[in-house]
Amino acid sequence: MHIIRAFDLTKRYGTRAAKSVLAVDQVSFTVEEGQVFGFLGPNGSGKTTTIGMLVGITNPTSGAFSLFGASDPTGLLAARSRVGATLETPNFYPYMNGRDNLRIAAAVKGVERPRIEECLELVGLADRAKHRFRTYSLGMKQRLALAATMLNDPDLIILDEPANGLDPQGMREIREIIRILADRGKTIFLSSHLLWEVERTCSHVAIVRKGRIVTCGTVEEVIGEGNLVLLRAGDEDTLAGAMERYPEATSVRRTDEGIVVGLSSGDLAGVTRYLAEQGIYLSHLAPHRQSLEEVFIDLTQDDFDSMTQTAS
Amino acid sequence: MKILSILFRIEVLKAVKRRAFWVAFGAFTVFTAIPAVEGVRYAHRNPDFAYALPESWPNILGAATGLGALFVAVLMILLFAPEFSWRTGRQNVIDGLSKERLYAGKVIVLAGLILLFMVTPALIGVGGTLLSPGEGGPGIIRSTDLSYMGGVALTLLLCGSAGLMLSALLRSSGPALGVFFLYLVVEEAVTGLMSRAGEHLQAVTEYLPFNVLEFLGDDLAHYPEELAEVNTVRAEGGLEPREFLDVEVLAIAALTYSAIFLVTAFLSMRERDL
Repeated sequence: MHIIRAFDLTKRYGTRAAKSVLAVDQVSFTVEEGQVFGFLGPNGSGKTTTIGMLVGITNPTSGAFSLFGASDPTGLLAARSRVGATLETPNFYPYMNGRDNLRIAAAVKGVERPRIEECLELVGLADRAKHRFRTYSLGMKQRLALAATMLNDPDLIILDEPANGLDPQGMREIREIIRILADRGKTIFLSSHLLWEVERTCSHVAIVRKGRIVTCGTVEEVIGEGNLVLLRAGDEDTLAGAMERYPEATSVRRTDEGIVVGLSSGDLAGVTRYLAEQGIYLSHLAPHRQSLEEVFIDLTQDDFDSMTQTAS
Repeated sequence: MKILSILFRIEVLKAVKRRAFWVAFGAFTVFTAIPAVEGVRYAHRNPDFAYALPESWPNILGAATGLGALFVAVLMILLFAPEFSWRTGRQNVIDGLSKERLYAGKVIVLAGLILLFMVTPALIGVGGTLLSPGEGGPGIIRSTDLSYMGGVALTLLLCGSAGLMLSALLRSSGPALGVFFLYLVVEEAVTGLMSRAGEHLQAVTEYLPFNVLEFLGDDLAHYPEELAEVNTVRAEGGLEPREFLDVEVLAIAALTYSAIFLVTAFLSMRERDL
């Protein structure tokens, strides 16, 4: 069953062409029931804006989406009762205590009081429920947001940077909660910067850059995209220079282990022949399996380059 | 109906937990109690004076107008605008309210504040009449009292809806309060300038929002006999008689302004992102 379907979803801020910003540009994706879907991208790539459109706080400029098959306003409002979501920083009334904040969320979601206590217990905040939200640490605020998200036992859980501000123990707990929810068959839509967390937690992933989805699929598909080889030789500068001129090379990247080269075909014999012709003899040649982080950096390289240029 | 009950519960919880609400309401109650206490004390000292119904309604309701209208506007801003800076309104929508329902919740707050700021002085005043010696005229309430009550309710609606609109447009309590009070000063200045510029322009100023509010909340606009007495005294002193637009005209103007403010706030809520 399609839980989320987005078709050419677009958001432009500002009306004057010169000053307007295209935050989300014709984004299309589908999230199926039971998937743990990672939504990745650098800061400002349009992740939160996309989620904002799904949860009804941002009006799309064009395009459409459906939640649980519903796409009209009335249907979407009903569908959102099956969604639990938290965006960016946890947003609660600072003058109220944790329990009262959950009472408001529970009233909106039509949930009875005993469930509030269950959720407070689940996130380990039962002892601090009487304290005002403004006195909470960032980690406690994140936990309260997670408790609010789970109040209505939602079928779709949308988490935007849920590990922000958490210590390693807190991150582990969040990962554990996500795993438990996934095991219960919940569909999870997770936006995060912590790529190794996403790689461990998610079944599917989409990478967004400058408002557009640059790749989407299962984690294995995204990581396995392209033929990568790891090369080493006596003079790695010469090796890198030669590979940059090699017509079959789609990418050349230096790593601590050696030179990682993307190839348009799996013709390794062609690589050795080409390098031998250049007078370069390899000491190491092996297929290379990338991490999600490497794929992410490859696909969003321009953003990192511009950042480092600015910094230098 | 169920959603209205949910919205009411949510908004009550948000308000009663807010210290600013109790400080503002407490201050208003104290200001309201002062004339009632004075009335009762004066009645005890002066056997010719009765602090009793229905004659004391103008005194009782007078506390709600003016000061009450300002308190409703300020409280409306304090209870609505921070929902944007704290991003809690946005979270309410994420949790399942639509933006339209979030707005409806704030209209419920406005209705509740109007009721509270009408009922509180009425209860204090009526309580005072029970403690006061002497008796009033026949009946408890006259048609002129009902007209004044309606006028006071409209002044609260006008100010409260202005507060609601400023909250929705400016999305921050500081600027919203600033613009609200600045407008009062600007309208006063514009009224003064236009009055000096000629009779036609002066007539136009009578329809400006806070002049409508001032006239509608003035008890003399609703009690023709008292107005006649006042004008007799003014005539003896060589002063111009006080004149008011018809209460119906003032009421239509107040309702029109309130409707414009509420529709503007609604459109802002619906069209803008949270």
